[in-house]
Amino acid sequence: MRLVAAELVESRQILPGQWLQSFHAPELASGSRAGQFVHVRTGDCSGLVLRRPFSINTADPGTGIVTLHFRTVGRGTEWMTRVREGERLDMLGPLGRPFEVDPRSRHLLLIAGGLGMAGVRMLADEAIRDGRQVTILFGALSAAHVYPSNLLPDEVEYVVATDDGSLGHHGYVTELVQEYEAWADQAFACGPHPMLARLAALAVGRRDRLGVAKLGRKRGAGKADPLGSTTARRKSFLQVSMEQTMGCAVGACLGCTVIGVEGPLRVCREGPVFAAEEIAWPAL
Amino acid sequence: MTPKKAKSPKQVLIRFGDMRVGTDSNRSKRTPTVRKAKGAIEPADRFKAPAGRPRVETGGSAVADLGAPTAARPTLAVQAALDRIDLSVDLAPARGAPDHGGLVLDNPILVASGTFGYGVEYGEVVDVQRIGAICCKGTTLRPRAGNPPPRVTETPGGMLNAIGLQNPGVDAVIEKYGPIWQGWKVPVIVNVAGESIEDYVEVARRLDGVPGVAGIELNISCPNVGKGGLQFAIDRDAARAVTAAVRRATDLPLLVKLSPNVTDVRPIAKAIEEAGADAICAINTLSGLAVSADRTRAFLGNTYGGLSGPAIKPVALRIVYEVAQVVSIPIVAIGGVTNLDDVLDFLACGAVAVQVGTAIFADPELPVRLGDELRADCLRRGLDSYRSLIGTALPKRTGAPSAKGAEYRP
Repeated sequence: MRLVAAELVESRQILPGQWLQSFHAPELASGSRAGQFVHVRTGDCSGLVLRRPFSINTADPGTGIVTLHFRTVGRGTEWMTRVREGERLDMLGPLGRPFEVDPRSRHLLLIAGGLGMAGVRMLADEAIRDGRQVTILFGALSAAHVYPSNLLPDEVEYVVATDDGSLGHHGYVTELVQEYEAWADQAFACGPHPMLARLAALAVGRRDRLGVAKLGRKRGAGKADPLGSTTARRKSFLQVSMEQTMGCAVGACLGCTVIGVEGPLRVCREGPVFAAEEIAWPAL
Repeated sequence: MTPKKAKSPKQVLIRFGDMRVGTDSNRSKRTPTVRKAKGAIEPADRFKAPAGRPRVETGGSAVADLGAPTAARPTLAVQAALDRIDLSVDLAPARGAPDHGGLVLDNPILVASGTFGYGVEYGEVVDVQRIGAICCKGTTLRPRAGNPPPRVTETPGGMLNAIGLQNPGVDAVIEKYGPIWQGWKVPVIVNVAGESIEDYVEVARRLDGVPGVAGIELNISCPNVGKGGLQFAIDRDAARAVTAAVRRATDLPLLVKLSPNVTDVRPIAKAIEEAGADAICAINTLSGLAVSADRTRAFLGNTYGGLSGPAIKPVALRIVYEVAQVVSIPIVAIGGVTNLDDVLDFLACGAVAVQVGTAIFADPELPVRLGDELRADCLRRGLDSYRSLIGTALPKRTGAPSAKGAEYRP
């Protein structure tokens, strides 16, 4: 975690109301992992007192380029779209804990709803770099809101669902999951809260349902890893990236909590990635 | 002394491979851990906008500061003069010298409770030892889970929060953070909240004598919890009772934090002073509300939230101004401090020290920088100490406090 002056090198609207901005920030590009986020300071002139958290969309240590993908939802994000190339933004990052991929996982299922693509996009890069196979299931309102496939690595399988059926599967992206459930070794999701809750419900009991053998030595049999630990997350089938309105993003203000099974969890510190078992999901 | 000032000759960077070594005296003040973090930040030139592109101020002064954290690095002679300026302040002067229980701070810039956690969270980006004092997150007798999310939202010029005093309880705080605080130069003031006078007394008793705890800030004004908190700050007799009870329970310097959610704060402040408080902190957040995007409910999980940030600065100034005229104990001002002008405003209204709160979220280095800026401002004015800046805007009469203006209050 450090304060970085990131220079905007490119800004473009890739979808209606959704922007992809590239920043030159070598410290962030080389030090961050998929699932982590940055806290971006907006201009003082606009009377905005809080920073804005964004998932790191991609990070390229070679060029020092970090990209952020966001939707204009308020004055802070609108201000960001007006930043010009060459200007430097004050970013605090990388923050939060990353996705934890089991080293034995060969097939990764990434599930993104709408802007949730920004949360899992970098994991696709990391997984392909590590020689894993990646399938991205993507859900959007309509064809006009589908993330352009040319922005994804060539190696990924990209499956689209739209709510109105204008492209790909007609329905929710969660309906596609069953087809890939057996193929996937691990699943990683980011998107609207109801989507994540649905996925968490689908993932329950998967191991028994599919008859998946437990691999590896039965080390410390019966002794479970503490909930929320890196090892426990690595063994978890479904990891979700959550969002919440945020204050400090370093764990000081306790503003960005979500309710976990063992009490409140800070999205900025214990998250933004959680194993699905850690979250107290609302009953569906 | 703006950050863009031409670099002094002392700011020579020597390159040894990837290691950069600044040859200035200032750096020696940093702790090793922070030096490591700072040293990793590249100089500003690396991010300089290419020539020909329009360079627009992005507003945040920290952006300009980032690449060169010590851009305003003075020469040795100036540094010596700066070091001579006395920014120290005793928040418990009635208790005598520091070894008799006083609370002496190196500089009058504190960080406000709830915005800086327990002081460790920002450790990677801020040199916490250079802050005047740290007020930690509100601490209660028993652990509290806090309010349901969402808990924070931004408002024009400020933010609403309804954390609900989430904390692990006083015993866990002492066990986990006490040893850390003990090793710090910066005093840590523990913010204490409770539901009853007995709660406050018990927490104070457990904090008494704990190494690393420099004082107690009595939070009798939290607007975000159903029971307890605010009820003590809106009633003169209740405020007097809880202050007196805690006073009897501990020898620690005792600060009491006032609420702005009252008709007239002056009798309450007076009662708190009479009950034996060492200092008064003003103000806590203003009670407020935000509506959800679909307008079917309140946005915050707790419905009500506390408003903080630059939006409440005028209210805080008014209350500090009023309290300063009725009490003689030190006043620590809180409310929308974002730059040196705000600090000077509060000092002019009678505060001896200032807490920075919400602004830390946008600019974590602000508290440290404000201390430096206040020092530089004193040098520019030719002052040995910042004390002559205190109370300059107060009415120039020494008689009884005026009731004039009361009719204009809402």
